[in-house]
Amino acid sequence: MLHALANPSVLLAAEEGGGGVEFPPINLIVKWPHAFGEGQWYGFNKIALISLIAMIVPVLLFWLAGRKASLVPKGVQNVMESSIDFVEQQVVLPAIGPDGMRYLPMLISMFFFIWIGNLFEVIPTAHMPANARMANPLMLAIVAWVMFIGVGLKHHKLGYLKEALFPPGVPKALYILVTPIEFLSTFLIRPFSLAVRLFANMLAGHILLVTFSVLTITLVGASLLVIVGGLSFAMLVAFTGFEFMVAFLQAFIFSLLTAVYIGGALHPAH
Amino acid sequence: MLASLLVLAAEEDPAAINPVVPDEIGEIFWGALAFFTLWILMRYWLLPPLMKVREERRAKEIEDLEAAEAARTAAEQVRRDYDTTIAEARTRAAEVLEEARAAAEADRASKVAAAEAEVAAQRQEAMAELEAARAAAIDQMGGDVADLAVTAASKVVDAPLDVASHRGTVQNYVEGNR
Amino acid sequence: MSALTNAAVDILAQAEGLGADDAKAVAGAQGAGMAYGLAAIGPGIGIGYLVGQAVQAMARQPESAGQVQTTMFLGIAFTEALALIGFVVFILLKFV
Repeated sequence: MLHALANPSVLLAAEEGGGGVEFPPINLIVKWPHAFGEGQWYGFNKIALISLIAMIVPVLLFWLAGRKASLVPKGVQNVMESSIDFVEQQVVLPAIGPDGMRYLPMLISMFFFIWIGNLFEVIPTAHMPANARMANPLMLAIVAWVMFIGVGLKHHKLGYLKEALFPPGVPKALYILVTPIEFLSTFLIRPFSLAVRLFANMLAGHILLVTFSVLTITLVGASLLVIVGGLSFAMLVAFTGFEFMVAFLQAFIFSLLTAVYIGGALHPAH
Repeated sequence: MLASLLVLAAEEDPAAINPVVPDEIGEIFWGALAFFTLWILMRYWLLPPLMKVREERRAKEIEDLEAAEAARTAAEQVRRDYDTTIAEARTRAAEVLEEARAAAEADRASKVAAAEAEVAAQRQEAMAELEAARAAAIDQMGGDVADLAVTAASKVVDAPLDVASHRGTVQNYVEGNR
Repeated sequence: MSALTNAAVDILAQAEGLGADDAKAVAGAQGAGMAYGLAAIGPGIGIGYLVGQAVQAMARQPESAGQVQTTMFLGIAFTEALALIGFVVFILLKFV
């Protein structure tokens, strides 16, 4: 059968008599048992624990930094102030402008919450990004969605909806075509793509790491394929470094896009 | 699309539910709790001191820059004053030097003049004395010569000649041969 | 293509005694691989072009590199969304 040639697990199984690469079912690597409240609205599992840690760590860091805030920053204060600088210079100012500083707390919270949730993908013994479940990305995307629509309505009243649905400078007849597209892209696709981007990136990375881990373990166990197992392990290390970067990049892109949407609602002219 | 996902989720039994669907309400609940807690703490407790310090630092930086600018201006002023003082002192020194030189020159000139005058007076005096002595010598010599010539002539002519009457002639001769 | 696959699956099912669920799983796996493979082509080209142009812009004007970089990440995020939706479809097809 063709499968036997294409699939090394079949070969392994033939050699060892019943072994082979057993890739776990996907629900096994993203779903976690509950500590308490199984099936209830307060069900507490590993994802919930990581979410809480992703809250506590920034709170601790910022508390340490702000406890003895001095004019000459050193230690934790220096690091945290440079993170504020980063969000200000790379996210708020280019995307919203100087009047966007009042959204800094939300964007910084978003950035740290996502980043630390993502970092658990490569932290040993945890190895599970909180954002590889749809819960957190969906929740954050809804927050961003409510924020930018709220900002638009607050600053331009109903004129915001008019600007968003009937963009100026378009011939009247084209509104039949443009308005549904704008409605879809602004009010449906935006939050959906925001959530899916984060979720799918983290889930893909997680599956990648799981794949290479399983492959390494299986190949090192198989006597003849130890060398290939070494290669697989090298790939695992390389992808761990890559996912470390992706964890940061996705947190940055999520807050940047949120800021861009808020900026678009605040200054609809551009 | 989300709606279709939910429909898909509803069709499946809970054990084989798709990993894309946010089926665990607990995860959303704890995630939202954590995020909103973080947001509120950031907004009202964690960020304000840091932002205040940043603001203070920015104000202080501006202040320091202004102070540095003022200090620079002051230093510039001091330098300009110093330059002016130096220039004044230099002018003054030049003046003093010029005065001293003029005074010395005048002094020298007057001294030279005095010395020259003295020398001239002495020479004048010496000349006068010399002249007087010569005149006396000539006078005396003229008398002697006349006497001698008259005596010699009287010897030649063997007749006594009046010395007094010929003295004038001899005198004229002597005067004429000088 | 799909008809051929279905026919092949039917034949295999008859030959090896595969059940209807197995046939569905095989078809799902094939469709999933196809979906993700096709979804990766366009964004791959798009991101490559985008980053290339961004590098050119940064090389030409190094002083505006920061702004180009931010815009580049935005563009990558929008382009990449297509590939990621393909990935989600892959998960949906493969594991439902």
